[in-house]
Amino acid sequence: MLKVENIDVYYGKVQALYDVCFEVGENEIVSIIGSNGAGKSTLMKTIMGVNKPAKGTIEFNGEQIGSVKTNLIVGKRLVYIPEGREVFPKMSVKDNLVMGAYSRKYSSAEMNRKLEEMFEIYPRLKERQSQLAGSMSGGEQQMLAIARGLMSEPKMVMYDEPSLGLSPLIVDEMFETIVKVKQTMKIPVVIVEQNAFMAMSISDRTYILENGHMKGSGASKELMDSPEIKKAYLGG
Amino acid sequence: MSDKYKKILMVLIPLMIAIAMPLIVTDNYFRGIFIMTLIYIIVVLGLNFITGLTGQMNLGTAGIFAMGSYTTALLSTKLGISPWLTIIGSIIMGLIIGVGLGYPSLRVQGVYLALTTIGFGEIVRILISNFKFTNGIMGIRDIPAFTIGSFSFDDKLARYYLYLVFVVIMGVVAYRITNSKWGRLFKAIRDNYEAVQAVGVDIAKPKVLAFTLAAIYGCVAGSLYAVHMEFITPSVYTFDLSTTFIVMMMLGGIGSVPGCILGAVVCTILPELLRDFGNWYWIIFSILVLLVILFRPNGIISFLKTRKKSVKEGVK
Repeated sequence: MLKVENIDVYYGKVQALYDVCFEVGENEIVSIIGSNGAGKSTLMKTIMGVNKPAKGTIEFNGEQIGSVKTNLIVGKRLVYIPEGREVFPKMSVKDNLVMGAYSRKYSSAEMNRKLEEMFEIYPRLKERQSQLAGSMSGGEQQMLAIARGLMSEPKMVMYDEPSLGLSPLIVDEMFETIVKVKQTMKIPVVIVEQNAFMAMSISDRTYILENGHMKGSGASKELMDSPEIKKAYLGG
Repeated sequence: MSDKYKKILMVLIPLMIAIAMPLIVTDNYFRGIFIMTLIYIIVVLGLNFITGLTGQMNLGTAGIFAMGSYTTALLSTKLGISPWLTIIGSIIMGLIIGVGLGYPSLRVQGVYLALTTIGFGEIVRILISNFKFTNGIMGIRDIPAFTIGSFSFDDKLARYYLYLVFVVIMGVVAYRITNSKWGRLFKAIRDNYEAVQAVGVDIAKPKVLAFTLAAIYGCVAGSLYAVHMEFITPSVYTFDLSTTFIVMMMLGGIGSVPGCILGAVVCTILPELLRDFGNWYWIIFSILVLLVILFRPNGIISFLKTRKKSVKEGVK
C-alpha cells in the first residue's frame, strides 16, 4: 500500500532522515518506534507532503506522491492524524467531524451515515456532538481527532503519537479502538509511538528509527522478545 | 416560543427599529449619524470574514475603505459614470485588493500579518494624498448622488432607506456565508491551522476568499461613504479608522453577524449620546469598551444568549 524508498530529508542544512526505507502492506498494522528526535514525525510529515524528500521515492496505492501537495494527498485518501489532539477547539464536535469529510463531496445523507458510523465507534462523541471540542477532556479530543480523520473513508491511516499526554487508562482504550477501527474498516494502519510497548503489542510489524536511520525491523512479537530491544525500549 | 419564531423576531424587531429611527429622530445631524452607522455596519461585516471568522488580523481596513471611496469618486466625477455603476467598479476593486493582499499574506501570520496590513493602509493613504489625479490632500468634491430617473437620493431620509436596503442585502449574504461550508472552513482555519491541512484543505484558497470578501464589503461601504459625504479627503482614511472597525467588531461580538451589526451601531451612536459629558465623553466610552472586552470577551451580543446555551451549543 505504502512504499517509502531511500529517502533523505533536510531541515535547511540539518539532515533529519538518512536513507530511510519502509513498507506497509494491505491490511496490517505497522508501528514505528523511536525516542525523541529520532525523526518519526519528520517521516510522517514527509509522507504527507509537508516536507519534501531530497532523495528517494514515496509510493502510495501505486502512485508516486513524493512531490504532491498535502491537500491532494489527503484527497488520495491517505489520512494522517497529527500528534497532540489537533482539533478545532471553538467548533462543535459535529462541525469538527464534518470538516474531516472536506476532501470528499458527500451528500447530506452520506454525511449523516458517516457521522453515525463514527458515533458507533466513539459513543462518547455522540453525547457531546453539540459541545465545543475544546471543552472536552484530552482523551475525548484525541478520539475526536481520530474520528475526524476517519470521516473521509481513508484507504490508510497514520497515527502520530496517539498516546501523547493521555492517562494510562485512556491509553489502553485508545489502542483498543485503533485495533477496532482497523478491523471494521479493513485498512492498513501506521502507528508512530514513543510508547513502544503499546505500539508493538498491537502491531504486526515494527520498525525502529534512531537518529534518522532505520535501525531495524521485524515481526513485533519477535522484536519484543529480543534482549536488545527489551533493554533499549521496553525498560529491561 | 419555537426557535424559528424567535429567529424571525430577532430579525424583524431590529429591522423595525432601523426603519422607525429616522422618523422618530428628525434632527438632520442625527440622521447623518444613522447613515454613517449603516456604512460602518457593512465594513464591519466584511472585516468579520477575515478577522472574526478566519482569525487573520487586518488593520488596513481604512485602506480598503479608501480604495472604494476613491473608485466611486474618481469614476463619477472624472468620467461621469453613474454612481450606481461605480459600485460595480468598487466590487471589482475589492476583488483586486482581496487577491493582491490575500496572496502575499499567505506567507505571513499573526503580528507580521497585522503589520503588513497596517503597511497596506498607510501606503494607500500616502498614495492618495500625493497623486495628482486624486487631487492630493485637497480631496475630491461634488460627488453626485444616487438617482433613479428624476428622483435623487440627496435627501438624508431617502438616502438612509436606500443604504438600509444595502445593509439588509449584504447582511443576509454575510449571514448565509457565515453559516455555510465556507463559514465553517474559515472558523477551522482560525481554530487550528495545522488540522485544517490534515483534513486536506488547500489553505490558500479560503484565506484569499476571506480577504476578498472583506475587501468587497469594505469597498462597497467606501463607495456609499463617498456618495454620502459628496466630498472626500485622504485625512479620513487613517489608521485610527481601521482600529475603530476592530473595536466595533470586538465590542459587538467577534465572529457573529448580529454582533457585528450591534457593535457598529453602539460604537457610532453611543459616543454621540455621551457628548453631554463634554470633554469626558471619549474617556467614558473607552472605559465602557474596556469593561465589555474584559468581562464579555464575546461582545455585547453574548448578553442575549443564555449562559447555558452558549456553553453547550458553542459558537454557531
